[in-house]
Amino acid sequence: MLPGFSYTRPETLKKAVEELKAAEDAYLHAGGTDLLGCLHDGVFPAGKVVSISALKGLQEVRKLSDGGLLIGALTTIRTLETDADIGARYPVLSQAAAEVASPQLREQGTLGGNLCQKPRCWYYRGEFDCLRKGGKECFAFNGQNQFHCILGGSACYIVHPSDTAPALLALDASLQVSGPQGERSLPLSELHVAPNDDPRREIYLEAGEIITAIKLPKPAAGLKSSYRKIRARQSWDFAVAGVALALVMDNGTVKDSRVVLSGAAPIPWRSQKAEQALQGKPLNAEAAGLAAMEAMADARPLEHNAYKVPMFKGLIKEELLKFIAD
Amino acid sequence: MADNQKDLYYIKDLPVPETPAAGKEPEPWDKTNIIGKRIPRVDGYERVSGTAVYPADINLPRMLYGAILRCPHPNARIRKVDISVAEKMPGIRSVLTNDNPAAKVKWQWAKGHEGPLFDPHCRFEGEAVAAVAADTPQQARDALHAILVDYEVLPFVIDERQALKSGAAKVHPDGNQVKKDSYSRGDVASGFAAASVIREHEFRTEAELHTPMELHGCVANWDGGSLTIWESSQGVYAVQSKVAATLGLPLSRVRVVGHYLGGGFGSKLQPGKYTIIAALLARQTARPVKLFLSREETFLCVGNRPPANMKIKAGVKQDGTLTALEFIATATGGAYPAGGTSILDWLVRDLYTCPNVRCETTDIFINGGPARPFRAPGHPQCSWALEQIMDELAEAIGMDPVELRLRNVPRVSQGRGGIPYTTTGLEECIRQGAEAFNWAEARQAASRMNQAGGHLKRGVGMGSCVWFVGGGGPPSTVIVKLFADGSVNLNMGASDIGTGTKTVMAMIVAEELGIKPELIQIENADTGTTQYATPSGGSKTVPTEAPTVRSATVEVKRQLLKMAAEDLNEPVDALRFDGEIVVSTRDSSKQVKITDIKQLNKRGVVIGIGYRGPNPEGKSVNPFAAQFCEVEVNTRTGEIRLLRFLGSNESGRVINRLTYDNQVFGGITMGIGMGMTEFRQFDAGQTGKLVNKNWHDYKLPTALDVPLQMTSLPIDLPDPEANNSGAKGLGEPVTIPTAAAIANAVCHATGVRITSTPLNPLQVMSSLANSRRKED
Repeated sequence: MLPGFSYTRPETLKKAVEELKAAEDAYLHAGGTDLLGCLHDGVFPAGKVVSISALKGLQEVRKLSDGGLLIGALTTIRTLETDADIGARYPVLSQAAAEVASPQLREQGTLGGNLCQKPRCWYYRGEFDCLRKGGKECFAFNGQNQFHCILGGSACYIVHPSDTAPALLALDASLQVSGPQGERSLPLSELHVAPNDDPRREIYLEAGEIITAIKLPKPAAGLKSSYRKIRARQSWDFAVAGVALALVMDNGTVKDSRVVLSGAAPIPWRSQKAEQALQGKPLNAEAAGLAAMEAMADARPLEHNAYKVPMFKGLIKEELLKFIAD
Repeated sequence: MADNQKDLYYIKDLPVPETPAAGKEPEPWDKTNIIGKRIPRVDGYERVSGTAVYPADINLPRMLYGAILRCPHPNARIRKVDISVAEKMPGIRSVLTNDNPAAKVKWQWAKGHEGPLFDPHCRFEGEAVAAVAADTPQQARDALHAILVDYEVLPFVIDERQALKSGAAKVHPDGNQVKKDSYSRGDVASGFAAASVIREHEFRTEAELHTPMELHGCVANWDGGSLTIWESSQGVYAVQSKVAATLGLPLSRVRVVGHYLGGGFGSKLQPGKYTIIAALLARQTARPVKLFLSREETFLCVGNRPPANMKIKAGVKQDGTLTALEFIATATGGAYPAGGTSILDWLVRDLYTCPNVRCETTDIFINGGPARPFRAPGHPQCSWALEQIMDELAEAIGMDPVELRLRNVPRVSQGRGGIPYTTTGLEECIRQGAEAFNWAEARQAASRMNQAGGHLKRGVGMGSCVWFVGGGGPPSTVIVKLFADGSVNLNMGASDIGTGTKTVMAMIVAEELGIKPELIQIENADTGTTQYATPSGGSKTVPTEAPTVRSATVEVKRQLLKMAAEDLNEPVDALRFDGEIVVSTRDSSKQVKITDIKQLNKRGVVIGIGYRGPNPEGKSVNPFAAQFCEVEVNTRTGEIRLLRFLGSNESGRVINRLTYDNQVFGGITMGIGMGMTEFRQFDAGQTGKLVNKNWHDYKLPTALDVPLQMTSLPIDLPDPEANNSGAKGLGEPVTIPTAAAIANAVCHATGVRITSTPLNPLQVMSSLANSRRKED
């Protein structure tokens, strides 16, 4: 039922990096909410599973001296959802965390794992030899694509399943990564792989690299943020359409903004067109409507997902207008 | 329900012996002590603590584990099955394929549709190709991967809307039409001519898949030539007869036990190929074999609610009188005859008064898993079309939807040639339900709010229904044993499918004898030790078994009073039993404790046999219901929030208010699934495979999809003619009008009529965007 993999649970980060690096078909096991299911269903094989659950140091949430926040990669989604400081300073993140899966899964799943998720496309997960799994074609392109992407699709048409990634992108998060070459930092915006770069890969991490922490900058004065998700049912479901917003407001005018979409594209999708539409404008119904239009300007729906275009427009407008009502 | 199921439920012209010495049916209860109360489940502790042994929990010494290899294609012919690697794998004790003489068994899908158990022509994805038995479940599954099958992949059709077109792949050599049924009364042409307003729409409901908590499967064990099967089943006798017929065994050599089951919803009214395969593997290995399907397998091959395509046309006069109804529908039960259109048109025929009705239903083969009965077969689909067209008519003539329905409440069963119902609570369900829901005010408040503008719209909608059957009937035999200390053993063949059957039957005994329900031991669902019963389904278990249990109990009491009469030297007529003592109503000093009754002490037990008496002649026994709901629709995003639901049900006497309300809330929840979240998705146009065979992609409603405010309103009309318990069925009417009521509420909110399920944000957004485009 499961492939015959070896299992190791190192006590140190250094050892974990070594173990991971040592085998080409090694997979990292954090919260483990999805990995065993994928192996069980034969989505991909693994020769080795490296559990990092013993690395307690990766669970800390710590305020940084510059006013920012460091979130260990093994922090559970539940912690993000309930942490009072995160709720007060970065509402977009706690709101996104609260929308993830179900209470049981949030208790088990980790932030690092959530960022490195495998796609939920029913062809990728099913008995289809699809492009992302090494096959020749994307079945979604001509198939049942009502849950697939309207932006950024090329060769593969998944949507990125994470709720926390758009929220963190809206907050300009960066990642701390440990690997065979030591530590490095990279912006979250450089983590996810667009299919036109490589349809068979989800993240730009080198062999043996492990995300150890996520860093958030200090919230700018006047920062307002939110996350909202539309799904086909109210719990235990991924985004049909979602939006993470982070607006820096100054006297009713948008000084800076991030508009990041979930359920729209193969990677968490930052809409710079929408941001430009808001830049320097007073936040009102007209600006919100324009930003929503701009966010969808490049949308290329497939046969069964054209509904997403008006849905995203309605969603983005609604969420922007909520900041006025505040 | 599939036609072959009808024979299981409703056996016609069977001479019914009445409970022998009682001679006549007991009179209806006057005042009750226990019946109607909220009594917790008698087996609640066992179920919650885990001591209840479900078939999936059975664990026998030396037991092996079976698994089935299934065809991954919707249509394929098997050229060769190579088991040479698999059979040498560690722990593998047996591998069965069609090449193995031990597996040469015919499986009957339906009359005239017999084939090999491992059919070399696989007509749907998930058809059984081979099976293994191994020491562990993991070894069994691993061995399946090692079986090499050479398939000739054939063209397929998985959409019934395409299947009758020329050039469509043929599921069977004679073509893809299973059958066409028609019905008519009056003259629809003149009916439409007499109408002030005519409305016509096409509706579609998507296929739903059964997903009971306990998977389908069994444990099979041979002892010499005798086979015992522990099966997760709604009816042990139905499993026994199919297994005996398939394996050519006498019924006395097949014992089927199913004390508990974790849900069935109609998909466990019958055994599956897996039952036979488990028995064959057990025979081959001379060891017990446990064979439970994986969740993914159950999505493919053990049933579904057929999708339906329904064109409905309705005419009404300005005063609300219906003049004509026409209903043309197609549906599919999959690759074998399985009741794709079974009772699909019943609501059109029977629910509302209408002199001119024409129905035509066409059942079609596709290369999909065969259907099985799914809670109220045919009805929620038909309701989706009929209740929405009723609302269209109401709007067209400017009449309130509740009022229009009340104008058309029939007093007789029109679909049965005009015979009367024993009772009909349709009017009271609608009237009292609307009042309790505050219908009129809620409708007005919603309209006012919607006129004020804004993108959040409120809507209030309803639907009503009758259920095709629900009166139960013979045969049923029950034995009640009264022990010398006044405690009781109740022996009945019926399964408790989770609805609380055991609790309800204990209450019947307790009511009649005056003893506490917890003093009753229940022995049920075992063909070896309990009496014949038809499967629990069709909302017939309570109206079938409760009167039988009562008859048996009355007979016990009669014998007991006769014994006490001798001790007390009083006439039997003057005696009363209250559970502990028998006392004379003429002289209360004349009494005897049950433990002191001489004959009972000697005999140790009093046995009463109850038989289910016949149903009333020339009348139809049916339950009725109405449901009301309020929704909020976000017209920017297509999201629907269910704010509240009310279900009013007329199912005769309420036996247990707790299990009754459970049924109502569960039925509404399941209806929300059909109306808002569930759909079967084939990979149309490409591989034809099912793409959502898991609990993430096949979306059941969660607790958050169900409104906080749910109300159950029983309309407790006495129905002394139905049976001696006065109860009618409840399990199915509770889910019939839910989806349609939601659609009507959404239309009230938005002005947009959405004709296809499910009303998820995808569908609602599409429909709203389309209607806006049309307006522009």
